[in-house]
Amino acid sequence: MATFVRVLLVCALGLALGLLASAYALSRLSPFDRVGLGSWELEPHAGSTDADPYTLARLERTGEIPLAVGEGLQLVARVDDEGRALDARCVYNVGPRVPAARYWTLSLIDQDGWAIDNPARRYGFRSSEILRAGNGDFTITVAADVRPGNWLPIGRGRPFALALRLYDSPLGATAGAIDRSTAPRVTRVGCG
Amino acid sequence: MTERLRSDEAAAYLAATAILAALVHFIVMLLAPYVASQDAFARLAPLGALNETVLLPRAGPAERMFPYADPAVAMAFCRYDLASGPIRVQAPAGRSFSSISFHTRRGLVFYALSDKAATHGVVDAVLGTPQEVRALAAHDDEESPSRDLRVAASAREGYVMVRVFSEFPSLYPEAEAEAKRLTCKPEPVPP
Repeated sequence: MATFVRVLLVCALGLALGLLASAYALSRLSPFDRVGLGSWELEPHAGSTDADPYTLARLERTGEIPLAVGEGLQLVARVDDEGRALDARCVYNVGPRVPAARYWTLSLIDQDGWAIDNPARRYGFRSSEILRAGNGDFTITVAADVRPGNWLPIGRGRPFALALRLYDSPLGATAGAIDRSTAPRVTRVGCG
Repeated sequence: MTERLRSDEAAAYLAATAILAALVHFIVMLLAPYVASQDAFARLAPLGALNETVLLPRAGPAERMFPYADPAVAMAFCRYDLASGPIRVQAPAGRSFSSISFHTRRGLVFYALSDKAATHGVVDAVLGTPQEVRALAAHDDEESPSRDLRVAASAREGYVMVRVFSEFPSLYPEAEAEAKRLTCKPEPVPP
């Protein structure tokens, strides 16, 4: 009887642990294709036939339509430069450069990739519309309150993330070779 | 009356739990794309008929169909089924960035080309199963071979997505109009 109970316990525990591990894996980028670039993370092979089962399982759950390798790359930041989770009560500066690309966009999303409503109705910036310094450097200020320059409003006080898409970028699947210094910095300026 | 659990027995139970957990995990991960109840294809399929071009609504807080979509990019798609032969995919290339990508039913992207590949302002490709692509090639005239770009699909079913970048918010309607000009038509196969 005791053995029977133990076997039952092993089965229940094994099943629960397996499902928990799967739920955890589905909520984040593939452990076999995750590349970190400062605050940013990406899956360079998500948009190719080399996408691994972890990537495919995650895409199936989220319904995301990945950018193909020839189209561009998507980088997501959930933490600042010092590894602290992005907080809607704080102010961040993003810049001054991005990796080479014909166009890029930076937009503000929630943890699941959805746009967050804000009174200004601004959900992102395009490389073709931002204000830049004379040398081409830029700063995008992510803050809840109005800021001069390139202001990206945070919206309601929820945890948020930043998505950077590089269109027509020569980097492609060689993302591992991206020069780290070209990834935009996400600097926390202060918290109110 | 309690049985004492010997340490080697405990280790065996622990190992069995770990192996079972790993097994369950790998089965779930590998099967996920096949149960596919909420993947992109399942969300796209009800929006339009086969070979029909459908414009996707602009990404924004009110739009909760495709996460991580870019509000600066207009997107349109058509669904394909190569069972009845290859299809010709065409999309105009505007002045900004645009691209076409080919996706399988299971979410794998097997080919993509950008507006840089356009000839006379049109991105043009023939999509077929590997057999269909071979059959088309077999009918090529040796004197004047076809200039078609032929793409062999990794799966019979899937969708073609066009993305058009808008350089400024005011140009978004133009990008949408351009995305809507995607066409997916059955391509006649020579007898």
